[in-house]
Amino acid sequence: MEFEARQSLQLVEVRMSGRLEFTDHDRLPDIVELLDQPGLGQFVLDLSDLAFIDSAGLGMLLILQEEAEQRNAKLVVRGPRDDVRRSLDLARIGDILTIEY
Amino acid sequence: MAISLAASRVLIVDDNEFNRKSLALIIRRAGLTQIEFAENGVEGLRKVASFRPDLVLLDVNMPVMDGLEMCRQLRRSATHEELPVLFQTALDSDEEQVRCFEAGGSDLISKPIKPGECVARVRHQLEKRKLFNDLANFRERVERELKHAQAMQLSLLPEPKRLQAIAERYELVLDAHFETSSELGGDFWNVYPLDDNRVAFLIADFAGHGITAAINAFRLHTLIDRFPMQHVPPSEWLANLNGALKDVLPTGQFATAFFGILDLHTDTLTYASAGAPNPVLGVGGDIRLLDSAGLVLGASRRAKYVDRSLRLPRGGFLFLYSDALIECSGEGNGPIGQDGVPDVLRGALAINRTQPLIPLLDHFYARTKQPLRDDLTTVWIARRP
Repeated sequence: MEFEARQSLQLVEVRMSGRLEFTDHDRLPDIVELLDQPGLGQFVLDLSDLAFIDSAGLGMLLILQEEAEQRNAKLVVRGPRDDVRRSLDLARIGDILTIEY
Repeated sequence: MAISLAASRVLIVDDNEFNRKSLALIIRRAGLTQIEFAENGVEGLRKVASFRPDLVLLDVNMPVMDGLEMCRQLRRSATHEELPVLFQTALDSDEEQVRCFEAGGSDLISKPIKPGECVARVRHQLEKRKLFNDLANFRERVERELKHAQAMQLSLLPEPKRLQAIAERYELVLDAHFETSSELGGDFWNVYPLDDNRVAFLIADFAGHGITAAINAFRLHTLIDRFPMQHVPPSEWLANLNGALKDVLPTGQFATAFFGILDLHTDTLTYASAGAPNPVLGVGGDIRLLDSAGLVLGASRRAKYVDRSLRLPRGGFLFLYSDALIECSGEGNGPIGQDGVPDVLRGALAINRTQPLIPLLDHFYARTKQPLRDDLTTVWIARRP
C-alpha cells in the first residue's frame, strides 16, 4: 500500500493506493502520526485508488477509527470501489464506520 | 558485547613446547583458565573430541599431521563445522595465509605472537561463537514450541474418525482440508451433532495469520462450549459469540464466520454469517453462491445477525472455505476470486463427483504461489442421495 496525505486546518485526508493487507501493519503508525494535529475534526480515508483489501486491512480501518475517536476526530471512509467495496460490504463494515460511496 | 572468558575452553595445538607455554600464558592472563594442549594434528583431533573446546589455536607446520589437514578434517564433521580455529602464521607469507583460510580457518594470528592482538582475536571469535550458539538455541527452542502448538491447533479440528462417525450418523459425505500459512494460523472449523435430525457446522477465520491469529482461534474454541447450540437460532448463537469475542479482542482483531444448522427432517439449512466468503450451495444441478454478508465477529457489541433458510435435500451439498482460496494468486495467475468459485467447483465435480475437494485443491495449488500467504480451510458437506 502507498499513501499520500493532505492536511489542512481541521482536516487530514489520506489517499491509499495499491493493496492494503497483512504486511502493511507496519505502515499504520505513519498514518496515525498524521492525526496528531491540534484541532483535528475530520479524518478522510480515500480508498478510490485502492485495488484490494484483505481482512487484516479491514482491521486496520477499525484501528484508524479508534485512533481518530481518541483525538475527537471523525473518520470518514470515502469511495471504495470494486473488490474493496465488495469486501467492506461483505463484512458489513459500514455498520460501524461511516462510508461515503 | 563483553562475555566472561572464564567459561570458555581453548585447545592449543603446537609441536613447540615454548610456543605452547607462551600462548597459554597470554590467554590465561586474559582470564581463560580451561586450556588443554596437543602436539600434532592427530592428537589435536583426539583432544577436540574429548575436551570439546570452544576455540582451537592451531600451528601450521607439525609432524604426523599438520594444522591445515587437522582443520580440513574438523570442517568435514558436522559437529565441528562452526568451531573457531585460529591459525598461527607468519604475517609475511601471503600464500600460507590463503592456505589457512582455504583449509577452513576462522582467522589468523601473526607469528611472532603479539599478546594484545592474540587476546583480541580470541575474544572476538569466542563472542561470535556465543552469539551464534545463543541464536541456534533460541531457534531450536522456538521451533520445538511451535511444533507443540501446531499439534494443539490441529487438535481443535474434528478428528477423521469423529468426522466419519458423524457422516455415517447423518448420511453425509464430509471432507475437509486445513492448512496454515506458517506454523500456526487463525482458521477454525468444526461440526456439532445437535440431535438425531440436526447437525451444525461452524467455520471461522481470524484476521491475519500466525501466532496472534492462532491465539484467537484458541479463544474461540473455549468460548464455543459456553453457548449451547440446541435451542437458539444461528443468528442468536453468532450474536452470543460476537459479544464474548468483543470482550477479549483488541480493536482491529476480529473473525469472519459462517454458522449453519442442517435439519435432515425438514431438508432445511438455516444459517447466519459474519462476513465469511460466500458459501456454495448445490441442489439438483443448480450451483450458486449464498449471501453471507454480516458484521464480522468481535468488532462491535451492537452487531446483529440474520437467519437465512434454504432447502438442502438429499443429493445436495454445501461448500465452505476461507478467503485464502479466493485471494491467493500465483505467477501470471490472478486469484480465483469470489465469482470464480462455482466454476472451479463445477470443474472439480466433473473429475470427482463424491470427493471434489481433491481435484479442487489440485487446481488451486497448480495456479497459486506457495507457501500460501494466508491460512486455507475448505469443508465439503454433501447429503447422500
